[in-house]
Amino acid sequence: MPLLEVQHVSKVFGGLRANDDVSFVLEANEVLGLIGPNGAGKTTLFNCIAGYFPVTSGRIIFDGRDITELRDYQVARLGIARTFQIFQASGDLSVVENVMVGAFMHSSSRSRARLIAEECLEFLGISDSAGHMLSELPVARQKRVALATALASHPRLLLLDEVAAGLNPSEIEGMVDTLRRIHQERGISLLVTEHVLEMVMALADRVIVLESGRKIADGNPEQVVKDPEVIRAYLGEHFAPQAGQAGPGGEEGRHA
Amino acid sequence: MEAIRNAFDFSDFPRLDLTIAGLGILFLLIFPALPHSSFAMATMIQFLMFSLYGMGWNTIGGYAGQVDLGKAKYVGIGAYTTAVLMIRWDIPFWFSMPLGMVFAILWSFVIGYPLFRLKGHYFAIATIATSLVVKDIFEVWDFVGGARGLELPLKGHFPDFLYLQFREDYYYYYIILGFFVLGVLYINAFRHSRLGYQLRAIKDNEDVARSLGIDVHWSKIKAYAVATAFVAMVGSFHACYNFAIEPEDTMSLDLSILIAMMAMLGGAGSLWGPIIGAAILVPMKSYLGSWLGGQAGLAGLDLVIYGAIIMLIAAVQPRGVWGIVEAVRARKRGSHAAA
Amino acid sequence: MEAFWVEILKSLVSGLLMGLVFALVALGLTVIFGVMDIVNFAHGEFLMIGMYTTLVTAPLLGVDPLITLPICGLVGAVLGVISYYGLVKYLLRGPVIAQLFGTFGLMVFLRNLALLFMGSEPRILHKGVLVGKSFVVGPGLVLESTKLAAAVLSLASFYVVWWLINRTRLGKALTATSLDRQGARYMGISTELMNALAWAIGGASVAIAGGVLVNFWPVDPNVGLLFTMIAFATVALGGFGSIRGALFAGIIIGFIVQIPPVWDAALGLLGLGGGDAISLHPFKYTFVYLIYFIIMIVRPQGLFGWKQ
Repeated sequence: MPLLEVQHVSKVFGGLRANDDVSFVLEANEVLGLIGPNGAGKTTLFNCIAGYFPVTSGRIIFDGRDITELRDYQVARLGIARTFQIFQASGDLSVVENVMVGAFMHSSSRSRARLIAEECLEFLGISDSAGHMLSELPVARQKRVALATALASHPRLLLLDEVAAGLNPSEIEGMVDTLRRIHQERGISLLVTEHVLEMVMALADRVIVLESGRKIADGNPEQVVKDPEVIRAYLGEHFAPQAGQAGPGGEEGRHA
Repeated sequence: MEAIRNAFDFSDFPRLDLTIAGLGILFLLIFPALPHSSFAMATMIQFLMFSLYGMGWNTIGGYAGQVDLGKAKYVGIGAYTTAVLMIRWDIPFWFSMPLGMVFAILWSFVIGYPLFRLKGHYFAIATIATSLVVKDIFEVWDFVGGARGLELPLKGHFPDFLYLQFREDYYYYYIILGFFVLGVLYINAFRHSRLGYQLRAIKDNEDVARSLGIDVHWSKIKAYAVATAFVAMVGSFHACYNFAIEPEDTMSLDLSILIAMMAMLGGAGSLWGPIIGAAILVPMKSYLGSWLGGQAGLAGLDLVIYGAIIMLIAAVQPRGVWGIVEAVRARKRGSHAAA
Repeated sequence: MEAFWVEILKSLVSGLLMGLVFALVALGLTVIFGVMDIVNFAHGEFLMIGMYTTLVTAPLLGVDPLITLPICGLVGAVLGVISYYGLVKYLLRGPVIAQLFGTFGLMVFLRNLALLFMGSEPRILHKGVLVGKSFVVGPGLVLESTKLAAAVLSLASFYVVWWLINRTRLGKALTATSLDRQGARYMGISTELMNALAWAIGGASVAIAGGVLVNFWPVDPNVGLLFTMIAFATVALGGFGSIRGALFAGIIIGFIVQIPPVWDAALGLLGLGGGDAISLHPFKYTFVYLIYFIIMIVRPQGLFGWKQ
C-alpha cells in the first residue's frame, strides 16, 4: 500500500485552477520530487496535502486513511511534517526551544521533549546553536533548525518546500547529504519541491512534473528530464523535440 | 509529577536574578514586622493582588500574545460568587473561591470559543465589548445588588479564617502572599509546560504552529481559562478584603486597563514582568494618588503619566522593562562573542 | 395605534440622524485604517477633544458654536498629525501588540489630560443658534434642530472627504498608498506624508463630529470610550477602510440604537407597557457590541469588503 495517494485533486481559487485533476502515489520509503515552472501549482499542492486549505475536489489518502477533510494540525499529528518557504525568525524561542515544540507534538514531558530536540539537533549537526536565537543564525542553519523541528515530531512523510532556496552550492550539497540521511537513516519518506534541479536529480527516486496545475510527467528522473512535454513546459515550444527526433535544439529550433 | 518539578525549576535564570528574587521574597515575608504605615501595608496588599492579576493576564496576553482588555469581568465573577454565596448561604471563602473560579472558567469557555476567532485589534475590541456588556448586566441585576453592589456581613468574631474577616491587615497580607507564591510557582510550571511552549510558538507564527500539530484555537482558549482562574481567585479575595463590592470597582474597564498595562509595562511574556510592572505602578498610583488627592485640581495626573509611559514603552521597547533587561544582556553576550 | 406609529417614526428619524453622526465619527477611523492598517484606540478621545474645543471656544470668542467647527477641524488635524509623527510612526515598526498598546496609551493619556484640565463634570452647550430649538413636523413628531444640523453637517463632511479623496491629486495619492504602498512609493508618493495626511483627515473629521455633537450630547472625559466602541462597530460593519461602508453602517447602527424605544412602543401597543416591563434601555449599546461580534465572526470584511 502506498504511503500517500493523491487522487484527482483539484484546487480552485476564484477563477484560477491552481491544481487540476492531479493524481499520483508516493510509496513508503520513497523520495518523490515535485518540479515544474513557476506558477505550476507546486506549493498549492503541498498546502492541500498538508491540510493548510481544503481541496476543491479529489481525495488524499495517507497510510490508508482518508485525510482530505482534515485540518493542518490534524494532518501534522498523523505524521506529515512540512517546512515553509518563508521562515519567520522567532523572536521568542531559542533554537532548542523551537525544536522542542516539534517534539511536544507527541510528548507531553518537557524533559523528554528536550532529549528528542537535542538528539535532532545533533543529527543535523547544529548542536552548537542550541542556545541561540534563530535570527542570529545564517540562512543555511535556520533551514536546518526547521528540519530538526520537523524531525522532532517523528513524521512518516516530510514535505519539503524549496528547501534549497537561498543556499549556495556547497550548502546545497550539504543539504542533499542531510536529506539523504534523513531518508535512509530515519526511514522518512520525502516529497521534495525544488527549483534547484540538481537537488531533485540527486535525491529523488521518482519525479512528478506539474505545469499550469496539471501533472504532465511521472517517472524516474532521467526519463522525465528528457520528456518532450517537460522540456516544452520549461523552455517553450522551440526546444521541444518532435516525437522521434533527438533532444532540444536541432533543425526545429532555428525556426522563429 | 513533572509539573511539580517544573514549578520549582528556575534554572534558566542567571544567578543574579535568583538572588534578587530571593531577597524580594525575604522582604515580602518579613515586611509586616518592619515599621510601616497602614497605608504602606494596604499598598503592599494591592501590589500582591495586582501581581497576581498580571500573572494571570500574562498567560493569554503575554505568552500567547493576544491582548485581552476585558479581564475585569472575571474579577467580578469571582468577587460576586464569593459575596453572594456568603450572604445567602453562609458559605466560607475556601469553598466559594474555588466555585467562583469554576464559574469564571466556564464563562471563559463560552465567551472564548467565539472570541478567539478574532485576532489582534479586533480581538482586543471584542474583549472590551464583552466586559462592558457584562458590567451593564450586573448593574441592572437585582440578585447581585445592581449598581449599589453587595455588602458582606460581619461575622462578628475576629480573626475569622473561614470567611476571611480580620481586623488587622497583616492577616490579609499573608494570605495574599501565600497566593502570590503559589501563583509564581504555577506560572513557572506553566511556562515550562507543553502548553507554554505551544503558546509561544503560536505567538510567533500561527501557521508554523499548526504545522507542528498545535490546535491553535483550543490552546488559546486554555490559556484564557488559566488567566481567568487567576483573576477570579483574586476577585474573591478582594470581596472579603473590601467587605463590599460593586460593578464599578470590580468590573470596570479601568481595572481591565490597569491589569493589562501593568503586565505590559513590566514585560508581557516573561515570568517576572507582571510583578515588576505591579511593583512600579502600584506604589506610584498609591502614593501619587494620595499626594494628589490632597490637591483637588490634579486628579488624573497619575494616569496621564501612565499613559505617557505606555506610549513610550510601546514605541521604544514593546517588551517592557524586562525586555530592556534582556536586550541589555543580549548585547553584552553579543560583544563577548565578537571579542 | 396612531401613537405607536408616531413612536416608530420618531425612532426612525432619530436613528437616521444619529446614524449620520455615528457615520462621521467612524469616517476618521476607517480612513486611517485604509491607509495604514492601524486602529486608533484613542479615536473617541479625539472626538472628546473636538467637543471640548467647541465648548470652550464658542463662549470665548462669543460666537455661535457652529462657527467653531473649522477650529475643531484644525485642532483635530493638528492632533492627528502630532500623534502620527510623535507616536504612530514608531509604532508601525513594531509588532501588532505594540501598536495596540501605543494608541491605547494615547487614549489613557488624552482622557486623563482632559480630566486634569476640564474636570470630571459633564458639560453641554447652552447657548447657540440651534441649541434647544426644535420644530414640529406632523403630529407628535418633533425634530431637534441640533440633531438635524448634525446630520446635515455629517453628510456634508462625508461629501467633502469623498471629494478630497476622489477628486484631488492628494486624495488619489492617498488611495494609491492604501491600495499598494510599495507601488505608490515607486511613483514618488511619500508614504510618510500619506500616513500623516490620513491622520490629519481622520482627526479632523472626528473632531468636527465632536464639535457638532456637543450641541446635544454632554461631554466629560470618559465620553470617548463609548464612541470609540461605536466607531469600531460601525467600521467593522461597513468594512475596514471603506468610506461608503462607514456611511451606510453608521445609519444602520443609528437604527440599532433605537431598538429599546421601539421595543417600548411595541410593548405599549400590546398593552404590556408600564413599570413591570423589561426595559432594554440599559442594553442600548449592547446591541451595537453584539453586531460587532457577529460581523467579525460571520463576515469580517463587513458590507463593503476590505478596502474600498
